[in-house]
Amino acid sequence: MSYRTFTLRKIASVAPRYLPFADVATEEVPLSRLLRLSLFQITVGMALVLLVGTLNRVMIVELAVPATLVAGMLAMPLLFAPFRTLIGFRSDNHRSALGWRRVPYIWKGTMYQFGGFAVMPFALLVLSGYGEAVDAPRWVGLGSAALAFLLVGAGLHMVQTVGLALATDLVKPKDHPKVVGLMYVMLLFGMVISALIYGALLTHYTPGRLIQVIQGSAVVTVALNLFAMWKQESRNRDRAQEMASAPQVQFADAWRDLVARPGTMRLLAVIGCGTFGFGMADVLLEPYGGQALGFSVAQTTQLTAIFAGGTLAGFGIASRMLSRGGSAVRLASVGAATGIPGFAAIIMSSVLGGPALFVAGVLATGLGAGLFGHGTLTATIRSAPPDQAGLSIGAWGAVQATCAGIGVALAGITRDILVATPQFSGLPPHAPYNFVFMTEIAFLALAILVAVPLTVRLTRAKAVHPVGTPQTNPVEAP
Amino acid sequence: MSDDPDKVWPTGLNLKEAEEVHSYLIDGTRVFGGIALLAHILVAFSTPWLG
Repeated sequence: MSYRTFTLRKIASVAPRYLPFADVATEEVPLSRLLRLSLFQITVGMALVLLVGTLNRVMIVELAVPATLVAGMLAMPLLFAPFRTLIGFRSDNHRSALGWRRVPYIWKGTMYQFGGFAVMPFALLVLSGYGEAVDAPRWVGLGSAALAFLLVGAGLHMVQTVGLALATDLVKPKDHPKVVGLMYVMLLFGMVISALIYGALLTHYTPGRLIQVIQGSAVVTVALNLFAMWKQESRNRDRAQEMASAPQVQFADAWRDLVARPGTMRLLAVIGCGTFGFGMADVLLEPYGGQALGFSVAQTTQLTAIFAGGTLAGFGIASRMLSRGGSAVRLASVGAATGIPGFAAIIMSSVLGGPALFVAGVLATGLGAGLFGHGTLTATIRSAPPDQAGLSIGAWGAVQATCAGIGVALAGITRDILVATPQFSGLPPHAPYNFVFMTEIAFLALAILVAVPLTVRLTRAKAVHPVGTPQTNPVEAP
Repeated sequence: MSDDPDKVWPTGLNLKEAEEVHSYLIDGTRVFGGIALLAHILVAFSTPWLG
């Protein structure tokens, strides 16, 4: 029996070291609480998958809504993305008798997201002219569907911005990279799980099933978010009194102060270029694999899994590097630099390399996207003015969500135009895709170029105040 | 804070805190009501239940 207890104890002591992101836990904030908080990212991922993946297909295939109208509806959440900055700012300077800053906004965001999901199936059915709705005026379906998508978008942007700000508040600065990693992993996890569940539930489509699935998402959203924010932010009368006596700050002033900080605009530009570059790939990898390389449907689905696996590895590496004190901007540049050969390999694979080169390219691109995403968010949090994490994270989210959305939309449109234009019709099927991938390489290169002054400035600062760089000596922790 | 004259029985919140909690409840009810109304109107468009 002693052998058994010995083994058990051994396993118990080893597990936390190899369990990904289990080292986030600190004395003040146990892992269980951080994991619980990160559930809000699962609802965000769920909403994203439902909007971009599932409903995109259901509206076009089952509901026979025109593709341009679908694209317009799916762009509605993007309209709210710039307001993430404002939401983050408002939560930084919130006045509450209970001493809360973040929880009220997470709750409001949850309500909007719930409301949007609750109305959405009926709005879609009216939009597609189901039942007696054929006779309904056109604007009823259009307006209500637009409102539903806008509500879901507003809700998910609010929840994500303020939730990340709350997570930043909860842990000490040196643990921020690990928390960022955990939040990204949960977002990815939520997207993968919900894509599988939606796929299984909507295999046999009926209008009743659509209503069940979307309203079920609404209920799950409220349940998970309530569970996530329960008792996370303590009620604090001292802080409530500070809030009541604090001077009113205008958003314009706070924004001017943030932009005036050296490097802020440059960092936002890096985030924009890089996210745009990586974002354009998302929608095109699967059809590219199918058309240019002759992959089957099952094989192209595996491509997404490979991409996600690379991203996950990127988050893991970034968390390790950055929690040892590495430069976040430099890591983001490394991520963008990893993406360039990745895309180059994808382009080459259609000419000479074949599937093996393509898969390697997809993996490298995923890895780069993970490193870049983690690096830029950590850089944003680190450079945030004290007690203004919400504003900085809001600015990050606004740029990131807008550029990713535009990237996805533009990639689709560019491909459609290139395919439809007659003078290109003599070209092989991979030509239009390769044009888009070239553009991505250009944007990633631009992101690295814009980031150069930031990394140089960091190196100079490091000469005065040395911090271990991840590339040269990864073993030595400062 | 036990000598706070604004303290509300039995929760231990003071008046301002209680009002804030109440405002969340009221806002929530309004949003839920509005959503439910809109959803019912939309359902009535596709499957009318009154004549």
